[in-house]
Amino acid sequence: MERTENVLEIRDLVKDFPGVRAVNNVSFDIKRNTIHCLVGENGAGKSTLIKILTGAYTRTSGRILLNGAEFSPHSTRDAKQKGISTLFQELNVVNQLTVEENLTLGMEDTTFGFLRKTDKINKIVSVMNSIEPSIKPKQLVSSLSVAKKQIVEIAKAVAAESNIIIMDEPTAALSESEIKRLFAIIKGLREKNVTVIYISHRLDEIFEIGDYVTVLRDGKHVDTKPLAQVQDRSELIKMMIGKTVFEQYMPRQGERPEAILQVKNLSNHRLNDISFDVHAGEIAGFYGLVGAGKTELARAIFGADLYEGEIIFKGKKFKAAPDKAIAAGITLVPEERRSQGLFTILPIRENVPVMNMAKVSNAGFINNTTERDVTIEYVEKLKIATNSIEKEAAKLSGGNQQKVVLSKCLFADSDLLMLDEPTRGIDVGAKSEIYSIIRQLSREGKTIIIFSSELSEVMNICDSIYLLYDGSLKATIQNGPDVNSENILHIVTGGA
Amino acid sequence: MNTIKKETLPLESDRSATMRSNIKRYYIYVVLALIVIALSMVKLNEDGLFGRGSFLSLDSLINLLRSSVPILILSGPFTLLMISGYIDLSVGSAMSLSAVVFAWLILNGFGFLPAIIITLILGIVLGALNGLLVMRLRITPIIATLVTLNLFKGIALLIVPKGLSAIMSNGKQTMPAWINDFARKDVLLGLPWAFWLAIVVILALTIVQRKTILGKYAAAIGGNRLAAELSGIDAVKMVWLLYIIVGFFASLAGLARASYMSLGDPLSGDGMQLTCIIAVLLGGTAFSGGEGSVPKTIIGSLIIICVTIGLLTVIPAYWQDVAQGTVLIAAVVLNHLLVRERQTLKKT
Amino acid sequence: METKQVRKSLLAGKLSDESFITLFMVGVLVILFALACLFVPNFYLPQNMLNLVTNNWYLVVIGIGVTFVLITGNYDMSVGANIALTGVLSVYFCQAVAGSPNPLANGLGLPYLVAVALALLCAMGVGAINAFFIAKLKVPSIIVTLGTMILARGVAEVITQGAQRNTSLPDAFGLLGSWGIPGTSIRLSFLVMIVLLGLAFIFEKKTIFARRIYLIGANPEAARLSGINVDKYLTALYIFSGLLAGITGILMASEFKAGFSNSATGYEFDALVITLLGGVSIAGGFGSMLGMFVGAIILSVVTTSSTGLLLSPEWQFTLKGIITFLAIVAQRYALDRRKG
Repeated sequence: MERTENVLEIRDLVKDFPGVRAVNNVSFDIKRNTIHCLVGENGAGKSTLIKILTGAYTRTSGRILLNGAEFSPHSTRDAKQKGISTLFQELNVVNQLTVEENLTLGMEDTTFGFLRKTDKINKIVSVMNSIEPSIKPKQLVSSLSVAKKQIVEIAKAVAAESNIIIMDEPTAALSESEIKRLFAIIKGLREKNVTVIYISHRLDEIFEIGDYVTVLRDGKHVDTKPLAQVQDRSELIKMMIGKTVFEQYMPRQGERPEAILQVKNLSNHRLNDISFDVHAGEIAGFYGLVGAGKTELARAIFGADLYEGEIIFKGKKFKAAPDKAIAAGITLVPEERRSQGLFTILPIRENVPVMNMAKVSNAGFINNTTERDVTIEYVEKLKIATNSIEKEAAKLSGGNQQKVVLSKCLFADSDLLMLDEPTRGIDVGAKSEIYSIIRQLSREGKTIIIFSSELSEVMNICDSIYLLYDGSLKATIQNGPDVNSENILHIVTGGA
Repeated sequence: MNTIKKETLPLESDRSATMRSNIKRYYIYVVLALIVIALSMVKLNEDGLFGRGSFLSLDSLINLLRSSVPILILSGPFTLLMISGYIDLSVGSAMSLSAVVFAWLILNGFGFLPAIIITLILGIVLGALNGLLVMRLRITPIIATLVTLNLFKGIALLIVPKGLSAIMSNGKQTMPAWINDFARKDVLLGLPWAFWLAIVVILALTIVQRKTILGKYAAAIGGNRLAAELSGIDAVKMVWLLYIIVGFFASLAGLARASYMSLGDPLSGDGMQLTCIIAVLLGGTAFSGGEGSVPKTIIGSLIIICVTIGLLTVIPAYWQDVAQGTVLIAAVVLNHLLVRERQTLKKT
Repeated sequence: METKQVRKSLLAGKLSDESFITLFMVGVLVILFALACLFVPNFYLPQNMLNLVTNNWYLVVIGIGVTFVLITGNYDMSVGANIALTGVLSVYFCQAVAGSPNPLANGLGLPYLVAVALALLCAMGVGAINAFFIAKLKVPSIIVTLGTMILARGVAEVITQGAQRNTSLPDAFGLLGSWGIPGTSIRLSFLVMIVLLGLAFIFEKKTIFARRIYLIGANPEAARLSGINVDKYLTALYIFSGLLAGITGILMASEFKAGFSNSATGYEFDALVITLLGGVSIAGGFGSMLGMFVGAIILSVVTTSSTGLLLSPEWQFTLKGIITFLAIVAQRYALDRRKG
């Protein structure tokens, strides 16, 4: 394996999904032993690109050269063996084992099954020491903070002699000082013959730590350049947004109705003292990037998680729990549709009426005809693409699954509908259909709150925009023709 | 107002934290000591604490240890399997079946060594079958091993000839007296081969759990199977191996029991899986896997043995089940508190 | 018109996995039945046919509760012991007070109906204890119910001192157990089973409550986020399962005019067997009363055939194990192949 200047070369990479081209002829190089940042809005194609690199997806066409040789991993393990390790957001450490045991997992030396302390093992452990001496090998990983667990994962990847370590939003759960420590470690990786691909929305961090930056937008490659040549945040932001034309937002006419939801000093382990009002009939949007606290906020209001603080809904103080919330008129389309929103092994017909069974039954007995009619009604209204209402929800495409979840909530006829990442992973056609539905609901007088990490989505349909960063509400903006999207991005990436 | 569990440090002084962790580490020895003391008191007579007839007398202790060979053998392997996050509810029936087969072999003229080898091979087969169902066919461990529990039990019942309750001396054949030697004959300190073999097994399993790759991988799989597989571990093969090991030792336990009783009783292993579960619970092993301790489970099984034997003398037979049920519930609650305690550790 | 056509086509559905497995097991039943008719002497007699359905009445009754519990992904191993306990209690509560030197002949002297009601309450109490540990403390249901199994039986043993209670009973005691449709061998217990099963069929297919049980089994987290109070439903199910065991216990005690501490041994396993034979999946969200009933009939066919073929009880027991084993393996194969 010759040591080429570029550790990774991507040529004309394309990845198609049914209905959408997620990666569109992307080409760029990653130089060896650098910290190469990857930025782009949601839906820009970053995570798809990474999934191809790590073997989770197979590319549609194009070439990847790793150290000059063709690279086509067929699984994450395969990619790992060939030298690409990934640090996911869900930590992949075994909490019940020690640091040393985690570092050496899968790489042990044994005699007749007995674990031996060989030079190789000592070397692996010393990697940990050189990276972060305050983490002792004999410590149980369960006693470490999230930040330190991440460092253990990094050390493991380095010890496994990975050429490339991919880090996806690694600072999402870290404090200021922990981030400083992490950056020192990442910078040191360059001397250990490791190239880091660093994905983040926090532009300040990009400037602090990156050598190079690649900007993606709508699946296409915009530019790759050394960070020294990038002027400032605005230049990056301009590249990320480009000339995307937002659909014209029409400001509301007339008097602003009363507040239907008042949140006061909401706090929990991820949220800091959030207060805001949402007015009846309006579409509110909470915008922030990964780790900002959007999902935590949605779940807290719905009662799925615990919180401190006060919630007043329709004038009454409210102590939330999911069943009480639904009864009071609040519903939530959760972030993970497969694991939280749907009953995937059940047919569409059994998914739709779930939140409001009383309406399809008489005195506790389900009326099958009504149930079928209701389901068909929603299938038609939301244009759910299926040949039968008996189809298992698991077999629908992402967009259609989301529509089923949406139907579920709509059927509950709530006054307040909250949607967490409503169009994540959904093709353009389904997206605009969902937007029309949301607008229609608002016209009918329903109040909608969207929690999203997609700026265009929020600017497209929301009347008021709330900006979240790191668990705090940073700003509130009324949508209108003169809203400055650069300014917004500035705030949600940590700028003042 | 809802209260929340903050992911921050619990507001306790270092001294109380140390005290709690000490309680966690030593509670089990304290419990054992208390029970032994209680039992000794109960049967105190004029001969004193160690005299004839009392709990701590030599005779009584030897009897106790001799009859607890099966659970001592099985506790270790069972713990190892539980550490990996899996369970085997058929161990009792595997034990009975092995007892029956072993007794049958001896009764029909096989030598001691050949009989042992054949029985142990049977154990491996039974364990492999469980492994197949659970790991290859991906049937839930509880269901799979409940089914094999019944299957093995049925086969054991079938082997015993009509009219008899066990494989033993009958009109046509006599069980050789030496079958007893393994489990009863005094070889060292008044205790038989079977007991010392159990000690070796305990030591071996403890070493395996702490110092070998099998122990480490079991904990890794039980702790985070995905992370383990990402690191290149073949979880299917590893756990299959663990099931085979459990089957092997279940057989060993069975033949020890047959030797002890001089017969092969198809019901001799009944309830063994429950005893193992209680021992594991007392020892503080988490049911979800990832952690556990062979020595602690052994102490747990000693506690059970003492309680069972002790109660046998004190309470009438028909109170046994209530006693056992209470012990189980107590063990469940204890385990619940222990595991939860572990999971709210101070983060550094 | 077009809408009507579109609507009609939307209703067409591929067979769900659950229905597929049920059909599969019905097929197995038919085959076994045919084999039995061929090889077992005197199998095809009207009395035998009736027996097929009446023999396992108690398994079907407790099977209803066990099936619902399994659908949510949990176990109830305490039902057998609960039957014994309830039977013993129903005797104890109405035995004459202090009339005899034999302690096993003295009870609380309550009227029979009161005794029955009280015993049923105790049966539900066992269920409540299960629910507490499982729903509140989140202890694995297999362990909790094995524990209550031992405890319940233990209490029954204490009350009967390991044997039985069968003396100084009021006359009313044997009524329930002996009543039957005159001229036939159909007894009250069978009618109770039919009624309960029928209600369970309707309940399962038509009620919101039952639908929510399936939802909990299919995805507990989504169920919670859809407003279902999972703890409440689990509690209700375990208490209901206890009630069913209680009813069975009362009927059985009445039939034998005695409360045995060792009655219903192994019934919890057999209940599990008929649900497995009926295709109830422990993965949750999957299974039906019909399946369980089919499983009960399969078991009946197997045991009746075994008796007809003069097989020993040990052979019958083993055959039961083999059939269950083959059933779960076959179901796994069938499902895997279906998924392609």
